[in-house]
Amino acid sequence: MSDFVYVTYIYTTPQKVWDAITKPEFARRYWVHYNVSDWKPGSRWEHQHGDDSGKVLIDGTVLESNPPRRLVMTWARPDKSQEPSRVTFDIADYAPGLICLTVTHDQLEADPAMAASVSGGWPKVLSNLKSMLETGKTENIWLTKGKEG
Amino acid sequence: MTGSSFIYVTYIRSPQQKVWDALTQPEFQKLYWFGGHQESTWKKGAEWKMFMPQHGLTDSGEILESDPPNRVVIKWRNEFRPNLKEEGYARCVMELAQEADLTKLTITHTIDKENSQFIQAVSGGWPRILSSLKTYLETDSAHGDTRSAAEQTHK
Repeated sequence: MSDFVYVTYIYTTPQKVWDAITKPEFARRYWVHYNVSDWKPGSRWEHQHGDDSGKVLIDGTVLESNPPRRLVMTWARPDKSQEPSRVTFDIADYAPGLICLTVTHDQLEADPAMAASVSGGWPKVLSNLKSMLETGKTENIWLTKGKEG
Repeated sequence: MTGSSFIYVTYIRSPQQKVWDALTQPEFQKLYWFGGHQESTWKKGAEWKMFMPQHGLTDSGEILESDPPNRVVIKWRNEFRPNLKEEGYARCVMELAQEADLTKLTITHTIDKENSQFIQAVSGGWPRILSSLKTYLETDSAHGDTRSAAEQTHK
């Protein structure tokens, strides 16, 4: 079983989580690297390096886009050396002022190295996202250990 | 692999000792762990019991390993839901490590049973508990308790 599922509860609004995932000016604060797309179904998206070199670390296609509730996209190595995987963000209301974010990264069977990388990366990214939205504070999460984004 | 497992990693902006204390001291636990608390000396071989306000004793077991504030291993069995209790003892490993200003906390909960209902149950609970713990430690407020927030919704 190589599916990765991560659930986190955040004191914020669905729109703020959506913006944090889809808008570079928010994503760079906690993810360091950021996502660029018009976020329409069928559109290309790119995970670009936070150094603003334009280097594409990951890319793919937007499969579903239902702001601010659900975003599904393929997650591919830019050199297409492996089959792409899939990432789903689900943003649900849990209680007043508290949302439940579920990130599901599946279809990783063909790329065990990517599975290992994202299993380590998502907890860093999503912990930092929660901190940013609740306290305004973030870390450069790729400086401590690991470099994958 | 036979058996079932749940793994969760969270990074908390708090000193490792403070995270350890929050995990092991009843007065801290009550603020983020669904209002419940645990009783143990947290020494190897010691009894371990969890209590919830609405259920009394919910889980019990024994401390299998203890290395404060780095690691503790709990032999853990549910005591109040028959279908979970009959699955027997699970093993919960809590590991803490300081990484710059953050504490990395890893929870690994495993049982020697396929498709375990116990692991399914804790898989729903841990993200709520650990989200509450992170909010509690980073904002110094007890409003991190997701149970309280949910109860307010249903009032």
